[in-house]
Amino acid sequence: MYRLALNMLFGDRAKLAMLLCGLAFSALLMAQQTSVFFGIMSWTYTPIYNIRSTIWVSDPMVEQANDAKPMRDTELGKVRSVDGVSWAAPLHMSILQARMTDGNFKLITMVGIDADTFAGAPAQLSQGRIEELRLPNTVIIDEWGAQLMGRTVVGPDGKTKTVPLKPGDTFEINDIEARIVGICKVRRAFTGGPFVYTTYDRAKAYNLEARRTLSFMLVEPRDGVSASQLCDRIERETALKAWTTDTVIWDWSDRSLAKNTFWWFWKNTGIPFSFGTAVALGLFVGIAISGQTFYSFVLENLKYFAAIKAMGAGMATIARMLLVQALTAGLIGFGLGAGMAQAIGRVMIEKGMPPFVMFPQIFWATLVLVLGISLVSAIIGIIKVSRVDAASVFRG
Amino acid sequence: MSQPTFETAVRTQGVNMFFGEGESRVTALKQADFDARRGELIMLVGPSGCGKTTLLSVIAGTLTPQAGTVEVFGQRLDGLGQEDLTTFRRKNLGFVFQSFNLIPTLTSLENVTVPLLIQGVSQREAEERARIVFEKVGLKGREDSRPNSLSGGQQQRVAIARALVHEPPLLICDEPTSALDKDTGAQIMEMIRTLSRAPNRCVVVVTHDQRIFRFADRIAEMEDGRIRRVVDDPRQLDTTHL
Repeated sequence: MYRLALNMLFGDRAKLAMLLCGLAFSALLMAQQTSVFFGIMSWTYTPIYNIRSTIWVSDPMVEQANDAKPMRDTELGKVRSVDGVSWAAPLHMSILQARMTDGNFKLITMVGIDADTFAGAPAQLSQGRIEELRLPNTVIIDEWGAQLMGRTVVGPDGKTKTVPLKPGDTFEINDIEARIVGICKVRRAFTGGPFVYTTYDRAKAYNLEARRTLSFMLVEPRDGVSASQLCDRIERETALKAWTTDTVIWDWSDRSLAKNTFWWFWKNTGIPFSFGTAVALGLFVGIAISGQTFYSFVLENLKYFAAIKAMGAGMATIARMLLVQALTAGLIGFGLGAGMAQAIGRVMIEKGMPPFVMFPQIFWATLVLVLGISLVSAIIGIIKVSRVDAASVFRG
Repeated sequence: MSQPTFETAVRTQGVNMFFGEGESRVTALKQADFDARRGELIMLVGPSGCGKTTLLSVIAGTLTPQAGTVEVFGQRLDGLGQEDLTTFRRKNLGFVFQSFNLIPTLTSLENVTVPLLIQGVSQREAEERARIVFEKVGLKGREDSRPNSLSGGQQQRVAIARALVHEPPLLICDEPTSALDKDTGAQIMEMIRTLSRAPNRCVVVVTHDQRIFRFADRIAEMEDGRIRRVVDDPRQLDTTHL
């Protein structure tokens, strides 16, 4: 009977196409919006991802990674003296304005790292060498920034184009020259501004008015000391806040700065609501279109289901037929929708905008929701068919 | 009414059937007594609203009467629950409907396999058996055609093949020729009459179509929810009110 059920479904191509459109659109909207949501949320803890360190230490009032509350430099000595600390390095982070050579201003995220150890330096440089940061007034800028802050020139054809910044180019921060000595590859920030790396001391110089400039401390535990143990010791002995830096969303600990940042944005911004609305919309549109189309399919076939009932098929058999039809449509619709979401995601990942992170869990959740939509559609159909009297087949 | 014999295929006694409640109550059958024998083709005729279709539904086990007894091939239907009635229909009944009721999105052969698949027969065996019946009704070569691409007569042949494929003892035909022209209707009735000659089969046909009365072994004339009389020869009928 299941093969016949499928042949009935595939035989009505117009209805099937409508049904698949509804389900695919729903799956696309749910998978794509959820992936963009997680992509945007992953940007909120970009500094932790880019600046690799086992432990971050901050002012005790800090709630999330973008919320630096500068400390006195003397705090660094306190942390270094905690038993179990292998090394500790200062980190400065602030949002400043860069003045380009054409007079234009751009917001940047200034990152000052320890000039001796380069702890917190970008892992990958596409141009230049990190050691060149020791030269006067030098910075390393990320690829996104090089493009964003590039010079606009008019070509021989009269069209304007942007020439990305390159090593040797300069701009100004608070009227102090910043000469580019390297281009790095890092993940983009939630704030949208590019990362500009320099040494910790020079970052202080660029921040003319800042009295305190120690945003975070990067700490590495000695061998045999766990990150969690060391965090406890640091907090106990210094009254500062110590964070672990695990960024795996499904596996992060309560001490994770990434996790706390994620949930801070969840609670304090409208991002979850707006994306949640889009996902809910996908779900409701899916139920509405698919439910309506499947119901119309059932109505059109009602007299045949009545005939099948009269011929001796029990309601359980017919219910299974309808479930097979609805769930098959659901699986195909999910395949189409998730495939489109994946294709769109690839384009997004290549362009870098908007961020797109499709966890396998998003795939499975979307599948469950689409099959849920199909199930609702099937149940509506089953209720309708169950109310049809087998004797109705004799009424012309 | 005569006492049941081993030849009795269908027997109803004192069947009452009404629909609705209170002032909107409509009585469809009033003490309807009817019997049909094995090996015969019996027609139920009468004016519209006389209860033909209701009696047919009662015999088919798709309606349960409020009073009276219904016996089909020795099995009492009036006391059976829905599940048992469904099982009974599955094994013992074949249906030919007025508007064929062939599923348009399936091929003709797939339509014929439906009763077998309902019984749990495998797809392969169902198709083999359906092909044999297909040949018997003269449609060999049209197995893969969709119903909409067949003529009315061909569609009714497919419906007959579907009704017979699981070899039911009782064939229920509801206005089998109403959608067909005279010649095609005659061909279909000839086929149905031949089928009724099997010793353990009975065919009950509900019809308004006087042109096919000659194919009946007996004709039961209904009026106001009961059997008015049963005749052997259609010429004995007063057809002016039919």
